[in-house]
Amino acid sequence: MPKDFDVIIIGGGATGAGTARDCALRGLKVLLLEREDLASGASGRNHGLLHSGARYAVRDSESAEECIKENKILRSIASNCVEDTGGLFITLPEDADTGYGLDYQKTFVEAPSVNPRLIGAVTVPDGSIDPFRLCSANITDAVLHGATVLTYTMVTEFILEGKTVTGVRTVNTRTGETAEYHAPVTVNAAGIWAHGIAELAGVVINMYPAKGALLVFGHRVNNVVINRCRKSADGDILVPGDSVTVIGTTSTRIPFSECDHMAVTREEVELLLREGCALCPSLANTRILRAYAGVRPLVASDDDPTGRSISRGIVVLDHKTRDGIDGFITITGGKLMTYRLMAELATDAVCRKLSVHAECKTAETPLPGSADGRISSIIKRFPGKPTAGQKGAAGRQGDLAGKIRFDNPADCALVCECENVTLAEIKYAVSELGVRTLSDLRRRTRIGMGTCQGTFCIRKAAKALAEALGDPSLADKLAADYLDERWKGLCPVGWGDTLREMEFMQRVYKFEKPYSYDEV
Amino acid sequence: MMKFDVVVIGGGLAGMTAATALQQGGLKCAVVAEGLSLSGASREAYTAAGGTLLAGDRVTGGTIENGRLVSIRTEKLGDVTLEARAFILATGKFFSRGIVADMQKVYEPIFGLDVQYDADRSTWFSPSFAAPQRFLEFGVIAEDGCAVRNGVKIENLFPAGEVLAGLSSAASDATAEIKKSALAAAEAARRI
Repeated sequence: MPKDFDVIIIGGGATGAGTARDCALRGLKVLLLEREDLASGASGRNHGLLHSGARYAVRDSESAEECIKENKILRSIASNCVEDTGGLFITLPEDADTGYGLDYQKTFVEAPSVNPRLIGAVTVPDGSIDPFRLCSANITDAVLHGATVLTYTMVTEFILEGKTVTGVRTVNTRTGETAEYHAPVTVNAAGIWAHGIAELAGVVINMYPAKGALLVFGHRVNNVVINRCRKSADGDILVPGDSVTVIGTTSTRIPFSECDHMAVTREEVELLLREGCALCPSLANTRILRAYAGVRPLVASDDDPTGRSISRGIVVLDHKTRDGIDGFITITGGKLMTYRLMAELATDAVCRKLSVHAECKTAETPLPGSADGRISSIIKRFPGKPTAGQKGAAGRQGDLAGKIRFDNPADCALVCECENVTLAEIKYAVSELGVRTLSDLRRRTRIGMGTCQGTFCIRKAAKALAEALGDPSLADKLAADYLDERWKGLCPVGWGDTLREMEFMQRVYKFEKPYSYDEV
Repeated sequence: MMKFDVVVIGGGLAGMTAATALQQGGLKCAVVAEGLSLSGASREAYTAAGGTLLAGDRVTGGTIENGRLVSIRTEKLGDVTLEARAFILATGKFFSRGIVADMQKVYEPIFGLDVQYDADRSTWFSPSFAAPQRFLEFGVIAEDGCAVRNGVKIENLFPAGEVLAGLSSAASDATAEIKKSALAAAEAARRI
């Protein structure tokens, strides 16, 4: 039975989620299709840096301006997803003869681990942003405004009437169930996978998959973002986010076939460690939690082998004017920082096609969870003295944390003790935020993202999730899949303390019979 | 200098199994136990038999002469060395730092013993968490039960338990295997 919408959006990353929200706020009937989970591609695999734009100021002033404008907007509409860390651009003696703005006292208070050899330190309005929370908040608002969001739903085919896209055929990647959806406009917001989606409609977009690898360290070595003041290069940005620090990135062109199976290489790890230690020497002795990589959806413009000189600019393609295919728009390029602007431009294009006149309100309307961003006032809504789990939930879910049912004492029990996630928050995520797997739950609640990387909480979390999903027998499978996912991020950094942790994790889950000293 | 018949380095399952067997068999033993795994029943049985326990201390190195370990030094005893006829090394794997991996190599940190491991790191891990993991097989090499350094046997130093190559607690029959290797090391130490 075909279902009808005004617009179908393909892709549940920041751009797709933002477009779904914008379209829904403008009164359109929206369907969003995501083949995996929200923010499971590049949106969830980056620094989580709220750029000041300073990085692009010299060579790409357009991107720089977009960045600082969006930076200010996100601070006000997504306060719950942003941490105002501030940032520094530091100059090392090997990068320039003269540095600027260095105030030793101030610099070392804000960034105690910064390389003491620095000769310059310029303050910029950087911050850190939680991309998972950001996508989830956009989706939540889209749904509040009538949108339908289907995760684990992959587009397999376009329905064409003549040269007009009128809908899509899909398959549910978990159940194998197929379906058909119709809408006069379809938006391709699939990140690097936009290339393959366009191909399904017979359209060629020359995209440039640029892999970026990152490392996560076990705690915050500084409380500010550290950028290296030199021409953009590998491993020159260090971002504190929640309880960890992230260094990145690299930039390597990879074939499309690798986008779904990226592995961080030893060379990338060595390079990131070397460059990270130039920013903060103490990283050499800081435990690495894991390695991961994302793919930038750049649109190819020239033969630059590194992909660094390609503009991070936004690309909106109306395939009618470009390729003669009506009812089909691609939104790509850009970056996490400009997702809202990308969504606005895509929604403008959708509205033109539908002859709808409605103004974009996303720059002024706070996202759900961000209407009152102060944790201190959110936790007042909970009964009694706020617990660690309630404070954690308020930080993550913002004012939506008021919806979490903390009234049953058993539900206040902590499941993840690294990130203070309670059973109540898990139940909330399952019922309100579309969680199917433990990785989905991690993206909504940060469960298993802390220093133990899930070693102590996975069994508990799997049981809680399976029960909340209504099928306790799923627990073992959920746990096994999640352990494989965590393991993947540990293998590229398997030495030193990380390897010790890996051995411990293996023991916890594999040693069937605990040592019994009584038998000695 | 303190003198014992046998000094056991490590107070986990392997170390305590070996030390208790030796002490109960009438030898004078010392256990240097750094970590947390030493507890309860194992401590009682060993100390009841009169064994010496140096808990919370760490072995920093030893003196090897003519293929024999003569004495060891610990962090807390400073220049007071521990001498023995035989030594048992039961320091475990990576987690307890019985062996250490850095970005270049895998090594045994106390004596620099020969370690068996794959130089090619691509074989260390299986992508499936549940599958057997190669890195858990790494450990010190034993020749006729003796530790080896630079290809030369140290005739009175006997590795036991998980520090040994091929022995891992992530295997299903680990407890039995660890105890077996500990009792074998104890028997070898007793004969010296």
